[in-house]
Amino acid sequence: MNRPFEEDLDKLRTRLIRMGSLVEEQVEFALRAIREGNIELARIVAERDDKVDKLDLKIDKQCQRIFALNQPVASDLRLLLAAIKINNELERIGDVAAEVAGLVLRMPDIVPLANDIGIERITDPVYAMIKSSLDAFINNDPETARHILPTDSTIDSLYDELQDELTHRMCQDPQAVPAGAKLVIALHDIERLGDHATNIAENVIFLVQAKLVRHRSASDLSDLSDSSDASNASDQP
Amino acid sequence: MAKETPLKARTHNFSVFYGQKQALFDISIDVHDRRVTAFIGPSGCGKSTFLRSINRMNDLIDGTRFEGRMEVDGIDVYGKDVDVVTLRRNIGMVFQKSIPFPKSIYENITYGLTLVEKRSKSDLDAVVENSLRRAALWEEVKDRLHHSALGLSGGQQQRLCIARAIAVEPEILLMDEPCSALDPISTGKVEELITELKDTYTIVLVTHNMQQAARVSDYTGFFLMGKLIEFDRTRTIFTSPSKKETEDYITGRFG
Repeated sequence: MNRPFEEDLDKLRTRLIRMGSLVEEQVEFALRAIREGNIELARIVAERDDKVDKLDLKIDKQCQRIFALNQPVASDLRLLLAAIKINNELERIGDVAAEVAGLVLRMPDIVPLANDIGIERITDPVYAMIKSSLDAFINNDPETARHILPTDSTIDSLYDELQDELTHRMCQDPQAVPAGAKLVIALHDIERLGDHATNIAENVIFLVQAKLVRHRSASDLSDLSDSSDASNASDQP
Repeated sequence: MAKETPLKARTHNFSVFYGQKQALFDISIDVHDRRVTAFIGPSGCGKSTFLRSINRMNDLIDGTRFEGRMEVDGIDVYGKDVDVVTLRRNIGMVFQKSIPFPKSIYENITYGLTLVEKRSKSDLDAVVENSLRRAALWEEVKDRLHHSALGLSGGQQQRLCIARAIAVEPEILLMDEPCSALDPISTGKVEELITELKDTYTIVLVTHNMQQAARVSDYTGFFLMGKLIEFDRTRTIFTSPSKKETEDYITGRFG
């Protein structure tokens, strides 16, 4: 094979994994900041968002160049398409982490309120989803990716529960409303992290198995196990 | 996506031997009517041998032997009562190197027709214009129809050969690397022409240029060492081939 092309693809993967590691840490720090009230971690996240954006642009340009110069096909084509989409998801995850960190910095009062409603009930599984989706990408592992997909509806239910809990608190204690209003935004951001992790997992399945699984219900994912035929015509891009 | 059309040709366990050497092994392929079917593979893989078997061009090579079945419109191409001249008239061929007859542009088109039957001048004029228009060459040569075809550029000569092939109104057009000697602009014109001609003809194309197969064909077959490794819709072959050998070849990891 054309060595420079292969090296380009390796570099792209490596850069995307680096972006993934950085973003995963951004999420970890942002979620710890809102749970622990750790201002220092929130500050690190806010400062590093610029680094995430720069990496996003680099990966985007790298993909454009590889497309223009190599006309990739088959698994190379899927890697590039998945890379563009995963990169986009990672950049948005980075933005969400920065926004949560910014809320903690601007309104530290949301921290006790977040702990009162038990925010760890959503932050822990969301962080686990993001970590698993990135592991699935790094290891080319569609099975791990497949297990992430149904989790998103659990996150949605937890989000609804926590919203109700928060509304209840604000009704009981009007003084909690200013912090509560900001916490509503933070909760919504955290719920969105689950959506982004799901999108990454869907792209890993596309990358490895050539199956498009977007917009499918959880009950409609039974044909995604490893033993199923990757060339199922109805799923072809 | 191109709709599935009826079959125009099909082979079943078709093998070709050159003397002791087996060149093709049990090839089974369905060629769909008015679609472009491309064959790709490394040099010596058997794709051209297969193409030439469709209109029995391999008969001309001493010691060639066939096994299995090759059908066009349900008729066994290698049947005893098949008239090879009629068969080849029905299955036109365009070669890698364009070889116009050393005659005028007009005579290049009419030569094959006048061999078969006597036609009136006005009839021949109409066929010449129609064939050259279909080959997207008319506008470029209409004022010099009686000049030598050898004065045309390489790309024009190749389109003239396509016009000559379709003048006798074949149903299938075989193309053996029709663009390998052409510059990118001429290649673009011939590719555009292939896409237009498939409304009328069933086209079978052999190409070394995988991107060309991806651009113009509806179905692609990958040959390797005389075997058909994979045959599927082109979009499937180039996005998610099912065989590792195909994946390795089209992504350049072959060998």
